[in-house]
Amino acid sequence: MNLDLSEEQEMLKKTARDFLEQECPRSLVREMEQGEKGYSPELWRKMAELGWMGLVFPEEYSGMSGNFVDLIILLGEMGRALVPGPFIPTVVSSGLPIFHHGTEEQKGNFLPEIASGELIMTLALTEPSTRFDESGTEAKAQHQFTNYSISGTKLFVPYAYVADWIICVARAEEGITLFLVPAKSPGINLTVLKTIASDKQFEVVFDDVKVPTANVLGKVGDGWKIIKQIEEWSALAWCGYEVGSLQRVLEMTVSYANERIQFERPIGSFQVIQHKCADMLMDIDGARFLTYQAAWKVSQGLAASMEISMAKAWTGEASRRVCLSGHQIHAGIGLFTDYDMELYFRRAKAMELAFGEGDFHREIIAQQLGL
Amino acid sequence: MDFEFSPEEKKFKQEVHQFFQSEPELCAGFMEEWHGGEGFGPKTWALLRKLGEKHWLTPTWPKKYGGLDLPYVYYCIIQEEMSYWIGLYACIGTAMAGPVILKCGTEEQKDFYLPRIARGEIEFCLGYSEPQAGSDLANLQLRAEDKGDYYLLNGQKTFNTRCHFAQYHWLAARTSSEGPKYRGISLFIVDLKTPGISITPLMTFSGERTNDVFYDDVKVPKSSLVGEPGMGFYYIMEALAYERVTPVGAYQRLFEQLLEYIKESGKGSDPVIRQKIAQLAIELEVCKLFTLNVVSAQSKGIIPVYEANAAKIFITETEQRLANTVVNIFGLRGQLQRDSKWNVLNGMFEFIYRQSLTELIMRGTSEILRNVIAQRGLGLKRR
Repeated sequence: MNLDLSEEQEMLKKTARDFLEQECPRSLVREMEQGEKGYSPELWRKMAELGWMGLVFPEEYSGMSGNFVDLIILLGEMGRALVPGPFIPTVVSSGLPIFHHGTEEQKGNFLPEIASGELIMTLALTEPSTRFDESGTEAKAQHQFTNYSISGTKLFVPYAYVADWIICVARAEEGITLFLVPAKSPGINLTVLKTIASDKQFEVVFDDVKVPTANVLGKVGDGWKIIKQIEEWSALAWCGYEVGSLQRVLEMTVSYANERIQFERPIGSFQVIQHKCADMLMDIDGARFLTYQAAWKVSQGLAASMEISMAKAWTGEASRRVCLSGHQIHAGIGLFTDYDMELYFRRAKAMELAFGEGDFHREIIAQQLGL
Repeated sequence: MDFEFSPEEKKFKQEVHQFFQSEPELCAGFMEEWHGGEGFGPKTWALLRKLGEKHWLTPTWPKKYGGLDLPYVYYCIIQEEMSYWIGLYACIGTAMAGPVILKCGTEEQKDFYLPRIARGEIEFCLGYSEPQAGSDLANLQLRAEDKGDYYLLNGQKTFNTRCHFAQYHWLAARTSSEGPKYRGISLFIVDLKTPGISITPLMTFSGERTNDVFYDDVKVPKSSLVGEPGMGFYYIMEALAYERVTPVGAYQRLFEQLLEYIKESGKGSDPVIRQKIAQLAIELEVCKLFTLNVVSAQSKGIIPVYEANAAKIFITETEQRLANTVVNIFGLRGQLQRDSKWNVLNGMFEFIYRQSLTELIMRGTSEILRNVIAQRGLGLKRR
């Protein structure tokens, strides 16, 4: 039993922090909110050069053979810097399922290109019902000779505008199926959604979009098992990202509380502020331990559904508490967009909602407990 | 990184688990005495002696004093199992007095006290709190005057819970009024049968006995002093850090019993109850991980001050929430006590609902510990 990072992991963390402090200032994060693409191709390329997109893939696919704990460490640093862009959709929601369920050809085609940063992917899963279970998928996939024709409306598809490929989840005659769809296929229509975090989530309408049968990922009709995994991996990835964000929120808040003088003393010397900060720390530690434990279990090939749901429910709710306290302590100044607090506050809500908020995950936990 | 025990540690845990499993009568007797509120009785002493025979009360101590020279994690494994099976996970002798004696005591003190602590023959009672010294412990007033060949003790202690069955008082007394308050405090070991000591019971509203202890011209030998005079406050603070490993075995067992009840009673299909139970499961998992984090740090020889305080706060506050949630799930019947005909799970959660308040106060109130987290963990300024 040992909760420490290894030397290599400490190194990964330090490299990532140093790099992102240099390359991803908060001004870039704000700029990306305004722009159409929502990410910086230059930063993306540099991150790929560091091997980050291939971190969790084996060397034969130009990866670095890292595990899920390594990924969580990296995501924590990305969350700290609020790195905008399609990293989780590409690597976690798309790359991992291709690695685990793709044919040799699919793996060979997609993974090295993801690793090199040339390929951006995203996942089109959610529909207007916004249900995360199987009944939420109503998009249809009709088998026509050597093709499938996909029709339906998908929501909250991250970075669809810059994606090269979309994994689309649709209902074939045999059941839920995953399709690898070129994002520029005829019949695909994109509309950006105006979201709390300005994080480039899209409505994607599929209108008779044709894809060859060879583009099925996994088995026809057997897609829901893969979706469950994608949901778990992605939920956990967001936890890792958020833990890093929250750590930064706490650091900003403590340093502000120590500098801000009112009543002739730093406000951080008031117990009411100290206790809020102590609670923030406990919330974050809880989120970090739950997230690392779940990631460690995934990395060991152990069942982790319950641990992932625990991490996601706790981290989502803790993120709201932590950001609210951060805002209360920053008071007036935190309300303004030239201060970073609001960036973290808005993203925390987007993260909390992504891949299930607390009630959703508590229901999974109840099932896991045998209720 | 590894969130599990090693194969040897798992094997050891299994061994301890089986020991308690094979002693149902002793465990039940212990629980009866302990939850009865009177503290250690004959069954408790019998169980402690059995644990002592296996050297499990003090596994990390050197063999010559009755330990096993084992790494710290083994101690935590035993504590978790004790917590799970009997609720009690440490004695004052094994967890606080003993380690300080081991570190700062004289050879005579070590030879005299440590083997008996390890064998489960003696217990200490903490003598810290006074009517005017609670969270502000450095304000304690009980005086110890150096009379040349003895110390003369006068004053009052309060909330000294184990004094009516312990043999020794682990006493903090003022030896000097010069300089800062915390520099004039010294630690003593006092035989509680010494003439001039009187003990009067105080009963909490959860039926647990604690005590007022009065010292009236009590003479103790010079050899009762522990370590250096004037260093008592530092020893106390260090020993508090040892005591802040808070096992969660007892709460895990309660949760298991609750879960079984929910399943059997058919309440498990209620979506609100499902949410509540799942939330408790998450919080208990966080408790477990906070404790693992402390153990992990302490295994490397680090005293994890803020982490241990965070664990204590979070675990004791979770216990209160656990009891409250469960009592509310039981509805009106949640208020029924142990011997009531219509009670649920023998009124256990009603009792814990009251008893958990003690946990929030003792070993440092949640508020004092939050101050420590903020100032020592986060570096917030004191003024």
